[in-house]
Amino acid sequence: MIKWRKWNNILHRDIGYTITVLTLVYGISGIAVNHTADWNPNYQLQREAVSLKPVMEKTTPEMKQNVMSQLDLKDEPKSIFRPDPETIQLFYQGRTYTIDLPTGKGIIEHVRPRSVLFEFNQLHLNTPKKAWTWFADVYAASLIFVAVTGLFVLKGKNGITGRGAFFTVVGALIPAVFWIWFQYL
Amino acid sequence: MRSTILFLTVLIFAQAASAGDGKNYGKELTLKEVTKISDILANPELYNGKRILVEGSIVDVCKERGCWIKIASDKDFESLTFKVEDGVITFPLDAKGKKVHGEGVISVKTYTMEQLIESGKKHAEKEKKEFDPASIKGPKTVILLKGEGAVID
Repeated sequence: MIKWRKWNNILHRDIGYTITVLTLVYGISGIAVNHTADWNPNYQLQREAVSLKPVMEKTTPEMKQNVMSQLDLKDEPKSIFRPDPETIQLFYQGRTYTIDLPTGKGIIEHVRPRSVLFEFNQLHLNTPKKAWTWFADVYAASLIFVAVTGLFVLKGKNGITGRGAFFTVVGALIPAVFWIWFQYL
Repeated sequence: MRSTILFLTVLIFAQAASAGDGKNYGKELTLKEVTKISDILANPELYNGKRILVEGSIVDVCKERGCWIKIASDKDFESLTFKVEDGVITFPLDAKGKKVHGEGVISVKTYTMEQLIESGKKHAEKEKKEFDPASIKGPKTVILLKGEGAVID
């Protein structure tokens, strides 16, 4: 009996250490992606107003050259788009120029991945797929293992037969009560 | 130490796996023949419910969830929305301007004025913005490509 608990605690401890950093990654990313209605957890978006002379050219290539010249852009854009007759958009890596042709007024939109959080979210949401799916499955199994072995780390009044039982039931009731409230009330 | 090494290894692995050109999103493409977006927009009912492959530049990306992109048509002033189910594919916000091949099924739906007003009110509530029902002038036909897979160059 003692041997069983000893191995339970050793495995709980060592697997727990191993998944600590990844649990932080998933936890931090979890908070970040829970609030996508309020912010973009992956990218920083910055908008900058620009004011050019009106662009009066007749053809799209000429309009593009005029805008590039006024903005002193040396490199060719990845692509250009005319969403409507009065607007031209120039796309570069990480930035988009949207210019209102009759007025010359425009917006430069800069997009930058958020440092660290971007990588955390990619791993959490399994964007890479491939081998990461397997890593994530092993991690999830480890988390289940640590949760279950955690129930049996202590014995006595603070263990699963005493204080532990109370808190385990409380923890189980939170999602159950929420779901009943959400679904039926 | 062990945890740190493990984490760095998988981080590098993940980045390597996600790097490079021609990145796949969602299911593998099965079609070879490209349908012009201008043809779809000119005759939407002809394509309604049909599986098609389109190509073009990405000109807009859903800022909140990356759950849709707009693909420029081969003609000026036109684009087609490639919509995926939330969470199934997440398009990166910095994909704007890149070339994409997208496959899916065309959906054509016409919404009545009442439906558009109801939808506008709900959207305004969610976004905490003002909504003027008078801005809806009449029924509207929405043409979407219900996306299943895409490759971004």
